[in-house]
Amino acid sequence: MESNWAVEHLQTIRTLMERSAIYRRALAPIMLFVGALGLAGGVAGVALRVESMHAFGLFWLGIAAAAVIGAFLLARRQALKERETFWSPPTRRVAQALLPALFCGLCMSLVLVLVDDDDLLPLFVILCILFYGCSLHAAGFFMPRGMKLFAWGLIGGGLLLLIWAAQDPAAPAHTGHLLMGFFFGLLHLAYGAYLYLTEKRKTAA
Amino acid sequence: MNPEPFLQLDRVIHEKGRLAIMSMLAASPELSFTELRDALTMTDGNLTTHIRALQQEGYVAVAKSYQNNRPLTTCSLTPTGRKAFAEYINLLEQIIRQTKK
Repeated sequence: MESNWAVEHLQTIRTLMERSAIYRRALAPIMLFVGALGLAGGVAGVALRVESMHAFGLFWLGIAAAAVIGAFLLARRQALKERETFWSPPTRRVAQALLPALFCGLCMSLVLVLVDDDDLLPLFVILCILFYGCSLHAAGFFMPRGMKLFAWGLIGGGLLLLIWAAQDPAAPAHTGHLLMGFFFGLLHLAYGAYLYLTEKRKTAA
Repeated sequence: MNPEPFLQLDRVIHEKGRLAIMSMLAASPELSFTELRDALTMTDGNLTTHIRALQQEGYVAVAKSYQNNRPLTTCSLTPTGRKAFAEYINLLEQIIRQTKK
C-alpha cells in the first residue's frame, strides 16, 4: 500500500519535472534561421519559376530538409557552447512531439509530389502549413507559451487558406511560393525577432 | 516494515501543492510565478501561500524584477531546497525498496 503511494508520488514528481524542463534552447536563432530560409525560398521559387507540382513539392521539401538540418545544428552548437547534453530529456520529448505530425505531413507531401497534378498545388501548401502548425502545437507543451499561440496562428492561417482554396482552386504557383514565403518565412522571422528581443530583455532584467 | 523513512519525510515538501512546486523548480534553473501558476493550475493566492511556506523554510528563493516594464517574479530552489528535495526523493525510493523486500 505504502509502496504504491510512494511509486505514485515519484511518478508525479517525474512528470512535473519533465514538464518543467521547458525547452528553451536556441529557439530565437532557429526561428530566425527558418524564417530567413523560408523567405529566401519564397523569393527564389517565384524568381526561378518553379511551377509544376513535382518541382514545387521537391523544392519546398528540400528547403524543409535544410531547415531541419540547420535547426539541429544550431541546437547542437548551443548545447556544446553551454556544455550541456544535446540529447537531453526535454530535447527528446520535443522531438517526439514534433515527429508524428511532421511525418504525416511529409508522407502527404510525397504523395502529392508523386501524383504530380498541378491543381493539387494549393492543397500541398495548405497541408504543409497545417501539419507543421499541428506539430509545433504538440511540441509547444514543452516550450514557452508563445509557441502554442504561434502554432495556432499557423493552423488558423492554414484553415483560412483551405476556405479560400475551396472557392478558388486554380491558384497559380507563384501564389503558392508567396504563401510559403509568408508562413514559413515572414511569420517565423517575426516570431524569432520577438523571442530574441524578449529573451534579451529577460537576461537584462 | 521499518516506519523510519516514512516518519523522516519532510512535512513541508510532502504537501501536494508544495511538492509540485518543488518538483517543477528542481528541473529548471528558475521559473516565473505565472509559469508555475499556469503549469500547476493553481490560483494566485494558493501559489503565493505555498511559495511563502517554502521560502520561510529556506527552500525557495524569490526574485522580483521587471520585464517589458511589468513586474516579473521568478522562483528558484535554494541549495537547501535542492538538498531537501533530493533527500525526500531518496526516502520515497527507500520506502519502495523496503516494501518490495
